[in-house]
Amino acid sequence: MNKVISIHLHGVAFQLEESGYNALRAYLDKAERQLDGNPDKAEIVADIEQAISDKFRALLAASRNVVLSADVEAVIKEMGPVTDDPSSATSSAKTEPNSNTRASSESSSVPPPPPQPKRLYRLKDGAMLAGVCNGLAAYIGIDVTLLRLAVAILIFFSFGTVAIAYIVGALIIPTAQTPEEKTAASGAPPTTAQEFIRRAKEGYYEGYKTFGDREAHRAWKRKFKYEMREWKQRLRHEYRWGWWARPTPSVPPGSPVPPVPPVSPTAAVPPPSPPDGAYAVMPVLATIRALLLFFCVLGILSLFTTGSLLGLPLPGHMPAWAGIVLVILAYKVAVAPIKAIRRNYYYRLNGWPIPFHPFTEFWLSVLPFFVIVFGVWLADILIPGVHQALLNIPVFLQNASDAIHQWWTQR
Amino acid sequence: MSLDDKFSALRKGLLEFLLLKIIAADKVYVADIISQLRDTEFATQEGTLYPLLSKMRREELLNYEWQESDAGPPRKYYKLTAKGREQLRELTDYWNTINNTVKKLGP
Repeated sequence: MNKVISIHLHGVAFQLEESGYNALRAYLDKAERQLDGNPDKAEIVADIEQAISDKFRALLAASRNVVLSADVEAVIKEMGPVTDDPSSATSSAKTEPNSNTRASSESSSVPPPPPQPKRLYRLKDGAMLAGVCNGLAAYIGIDVTLLRLAVAILIFFSFGTVAIAYIVGALIIPTAQTPEEKTAASGAPPTTAQEFIRRAKEGYYEGYKTFGDREAHRAWKRKFKYEMREWKQRLRHEYRWGWWARPTPSVPPGSPVPPVPPVSPTAAVPPPSPPDGAYAVMPVLATIRALLLFFCVLGILSLFTTGSLLGLPLPGHMPAWAGIVLVILAYKVAVAPIKAIRRNYYYRLNGWPIPFHPFTEFWLSVLPFFVIVFGVWLADILIPGVHQALLNIPVFLQNASDAIHQWWTQR
Repeated sequence: MSLDDKFSALRKGLLEFLLLKIIAADKVYVADIISQLRDTEFATQEGTLYPLLSKMRREELLNYEWQESDAGPPRKYYKLTAKGREQLRELTDYWNTINNTVKKLGP
């Protein structure tokens, strides 16, 4: 079951699958960017929309009323990139060879594809807040943790200017939604999403060849649908649950379709199976980690508001801030092995070499924390305003929790 | 420069000429043009054709009119203007001259 989005192109309404809609949106946006400065821009875009609308109508003639994502991809490919430069007018004729020249051009040396243009996007996959740091890190090609660290420190030293810049960035930088945009954000190697699109395209063109033969076409259709469903499921699992819930591809019992040989030579290598017990262990570890985080936050809040750790007074005359530092440190230490195990499994699953020693993992998680504490300490000493602000935090939190408490009892 | 690049440079220069020829023969809409070009060396996609046609219209070589179609919304049918016809004549003459020169010279 997939969500559909209703659109109208040149006065004709269509229902598109969501990912197909995104692809079409991206294509038309790109066309508009290409035509910037052309006096007939609006008219050309309208022409192109009409051409797409005609193609969609031709596809829908056969008793179905939703334009599938694979259809959209095929139509976009048929339309070709919109180029304004008249001198490159027939260059697309070269990249879209008819079927008999295609085989020869593929067997001979194919020139490497031009590097993808990079664009600054917000990346929501793996983002902490709005994905600004994530997108920027992908754009300049550095590790996102380093960038986040730099931003966190800069926020202290710039009196919040960087925080404002972050918020402005979150508002104006577009989010990468389609696989193309995600690639454009970094030029990263293809993810499952891109592989999915590629397969959809490839399978679709495979289907064109069988149009003459009705029986063969029906067989192709079954096979294509089956393959795509499996990939879609895998993709969805990967997004929703993380890598460890990725289902191993299996043929449902009683399926009329025999297992299909993979479409591409690269897919011929079977994906490495997850390590034994990963399915049972990973959720448990994730739960433990979530619980630890919960208690850590609870402990910090109680230290801020009452000065004692969940009702237990701090030993000796330890100030509350030292208690907070200790709690966070304890959390980091407790979580480090869990993170190490997860990363270990993940690397093994992907067949990568494992560069992480458990102790590396520990230092990687503890070190940024120390840097931040050091940064706050420096700011505390050097900048008088910050000292006052830090002193006011417990009062502020106390007031806030009082207000919430009051509101709660009044209800 | 590879042989393929040289061919593609030749094709680039000739596409506009061919469009004038196709449109001169009959009133056409874009899908017609695409299908006429499809099996030739000049196979072109909508993404390139629409901007090129709009450029030629700005140069007043061609014009279009809306025409009802039996299926779906009205379509743009392109036809040559007097200026376009004139330019096609000149281009055809020039093409023939070049052809003769190519045949005459060399072995």
